[in-house]
Amino acid sequence: MIELWNALPLVIQILFKIAAIVLPLLGLVAYYTYAERKVIGYMQVRIGPNRVGWRGLLQPIADALKLMMKEIIIPTKADKTLFLLAPMLTIAPALAAWAVFPFDEGLVLADINAGLLYILALSSLGVYGIIIAGWASNSRYALLGAMRSAAQMVAYEIAMGFALVGVLVAAGSLNLGAIVAAQEGHLLTWFWLPLLPLFGVYLISGVAETNRAPFDVAEGESEIVAGFHVEYSGMAFAVFFLAEYANMVLIAALSALLFMGGWLSPLPQSWVEGNWLLNDGFHWLLLKTFFFMFLFLWLRATFPRYRYDQIMRLGWKVFIPITIVWILVVALAVVYRLPPWWSA
Amino acid sequence: MLDNYLPILIFIIVGILVGVGPLVLGYLLGPRRPDSEKDSPYECGFEAFETARLKFDVRYYLVAILFIIFDLEIAFLFPWAVALKELGIFAFWAMVVFLGILVVGFVYEWKKGALEWE
Amino acid sequence: MGFEKFLFYVLSLITVWSSVMVITRKNPVHSVLFLVLAFVASAALWVLLEAEFLGIVLILVYVGAVMVLFLFVVMMLDVDIATLRAGFIGYLPLGLLIAAVMAVEIFLIVGPANFGLAAFPSPEPAGVDASNTRDLGLLLYTVYVYPVEIAAVILLVAIVAAIRLTLRRRPDNKYVDPARQVRVRKGPDRVRLVSMATEDLAPAPAGATIADKGESQ
Repeated sequence: MIELWNALPLVIQILFKIAAIVLPLLGLVAYYTYAERKVIGYMQVRIGPNRVGWRGLLQPIADALKLMMKEIIIPTKADKTLFLLAPMLTIAPALAAWAVFPFDEGLVLADINAGLLYILALSSLGVYGIIIAGWASNSRYALLGAMRSAAQMVAYEIAMGFALVGVLVAAGSLNLGAIVAAQEGHLLTWFWLPLLPLFGVYLISGVAETNRAPFDVAEGESEIVAGFHVEYSGMAFAVFFLAEYANMVLIAALSALLFMGGWLSPLPQSWVEGNWLLNDGFHWLLLKTFFFMFLFLWLRATFPRYRYDQIMRLGWKVFIPITIVWILVVALAVVYRLPPWWSA
Repeated sequence: MLDNYLPILIFIIVGILVGVGPLVLGYLLGPRRPDSEKDSPYECGFEAFETARLKFDVRYYLVAILFIIFDLEIAFLFPWAVALKELGIFAFWAMVVFLGILVVGFVYEWKKGALEWE
Repeated sequence: MGFEKFLFYVLSLITVWSSVMVITRKNPVHSVLFLVLAFVASAALWVLLEAEFLGIVLILVYVGAVMVLFLFVVMMLDVDIATLRAGFIGYLPLGLLIAAVMAVEIFLIVGPANFGLAAFPSPEPAGVDASNTRDLGLLLYTVYVYPVEIAAVILLVAIVAAIRLTLRRRPDNKYVDPARQVRVRKGPDRVRLVSMATEDLAPAPAGATIADKGESQ
């Protein structure tokens, strides 16, 4: 088996590895939409989807099939090329960011030293798909949604970038594996505690960056029908949908990795020696990621939509000052080797 | 070092293909029955009066310019953050001065009301 | 030909081709998007030179921020393409002449005479653990600290200039300050419920009751 693997050309090996990341991810995204409808259903004392398959478990597949059979409508005055380019520009960065994501100690596709920078750069490309979709559609609502969303993503990207700089100061490396290694220890040595304000800023900016409720003015069904993707139908719409959920999973997984110790076990190493379930491992990362993914749904079920000026105020006037101050606080703690996090 | 960038290149191509694939699939499987009503832009049932590409408030440009400046600031912070442990307290004060100068600009923005969204 | 060299030529071709497209497209939005492609390809070229920090920052700052501003401007300004391109043929000879002069100048400066392999032998490939972000940090905040602070001042000037040039007050706008709304406290600032004894409304003269009630609170 291993010999066969080694005999394969490098490119084929890499393609297999990419498939091993992308296919489970797409499955996760499909069932995330199902989980969203179920969770919000129960939170609102409804049952959610329950017709297709046992307890509605086949619902995502039925949805995909339905969307596939639908016509992809291209409005008459739309810019055809850009109209079709926009969904691709949205999904490609959402997926490509996973290239540098470590799933366990040493289990990473591309172990580059500038990992975090790469992810930040790719997430800054997400705005293109939205602006181009809004403009190419040649529709008022689409353009309004695109402009709102662009200004909002831009504001929160700054806050997010500053929060990530805090993580960098704390870890002293851009490599995602090294950032997890820097949190080695137990629940209280993870970065969420010393970086608590940045953790909050990062989480909330993550919700805003993905245009999710309560920051979903870009879609704002009740104001501008569906925002930038009003004119999209069928599979073109499905690609936008996939990208949005893939981005949510990415933000959730990154929160787990950067602030909650990734695959590290919450118990000290000496307590869990020899016990695979409690010891460090991929399952911890998965558990933490699921928690943050659930949080996204919970937020949507709980909070009403923010007004646009409130969103901009929060991004510029609250988050940026908090992050600037806290970066300097963390920097001082690092320079003076504050235990237990930076004693080494 | 470059070996690590090959998977990234391939991953980006795969990402684009994951975007293209569904579109092709939808194009092949879905019907195509264009009709002038269906293909007109959505406008709550009205006929569109004029082109949808309207002029926007200059405020959006201001936000974009401020974004560029802060993005550059982040680009300066990255190398500092990574090397801080080795650089010690001198780099800390260097950054305090750097951020201090930019905070002056931030305060100016704030006081001038450039961050207000009215 | 090694794979790296092949990649170099592909990326260079993309860069040159998309640059030509930038200046030949009729639609300015398309031009901007080709410029984005040119930036992405040059970022990839930088990564090929093992300058990963600079390559990714090029994407982060230029593609992620500067080009977004460009897109905003060309999408929303409704540029009239016909008037823009009116003198294209007339100016073409002059433009070509200037382009040729510049090409010769560039060749004279960065040509093989000054920047050939003899003057600058290609550096050793960096090790697996080399992080040029860290190396850059070690240099920027020790040797080049003064230029860094000057960069901060330049950014400050940019902030002030951007605000002076584009900020317009709109006195006729109706506007609620969200900061004041957030500061509303539960007790005194919100709706107040007052408990009071029920009143017998029947004997009161018609028309006077509601006003009286309002005042008695």
